[in-house]
Amino acid sequence: MNGWTVAATAALTAGAGAAVWGVATGPLRRRVVAQNLSTSLACPALLLLSQGYDRPSYVDLALLLALLGPVGTLVFARLLAEDLAEDPPQAWGLTYTVAGFGAAAVIAVCVAVGPGRALVKLLVVGALLIGGNLTASRALSGGFAGSRRG
Amino acid sequence: MNRRTTLLSAGEILAWWAALVLLWLVLISAVDTLELVVGTSAALVGAFAAWGTRRAVSGW
Repeated sequence: MNGWTVAATAALTAGAGAAVWGVATGPLRRRVVAQNLSTSLACPALLLLSQGYDRPSYVDLALLLALLGPVGTLVFARLLAEDLAEDPPQAWGLTYTVAGFGAAAVIAVCVAVGPGRALVKLLVVGALLIGGNLTASRALSGGFAGSRRG
Repeated sequence: MNRRTTLLSAGEILAWWAALVLLWLVLISAVDTLELVVGTSAALVGAFAAWGTRRAVSGW
């Protein structure tokens, strides 16, 4: 055990536990937000684990999750657009908290890795993670209303 | 397509290609000749796809 694995375990137990609870209970607007934030929490946890276990290949999993998580949420936003329009989710506080956690994890791992190609890769993962999370949250709360016609 | 739009398209594809090659080089674990060949080829395919998609979305 080291600080990285402790932080990753805390993120996974607290974050993923809360996400599963949020997905399984409550109204639709809470479930979609929890579903969206579950990948946003698992991705920084994988980054922390890659540093904790010294296995750079875990970053590839984080990259994949950062890319596919928001795509999955966009599919939900599209399929549930009519239901979400009646009762749109408003969870920007939670969204920005999770985005901040992701940014903190990326910055911490970047500092530990030092300059090089691995650092740029981490920054790409971080940009995809935070950008994708914010875009997907905006789509869920009806921020791209004009795109529904397509 | 006239001469100007052809040049513009070629420049755009080249820009996409350069960006995608850079992305490939950042994301792979070890840089060697085979990776460079595969990466530059895949980036060219991706550049044409990105150019076509951008044209389809923006309409010119």
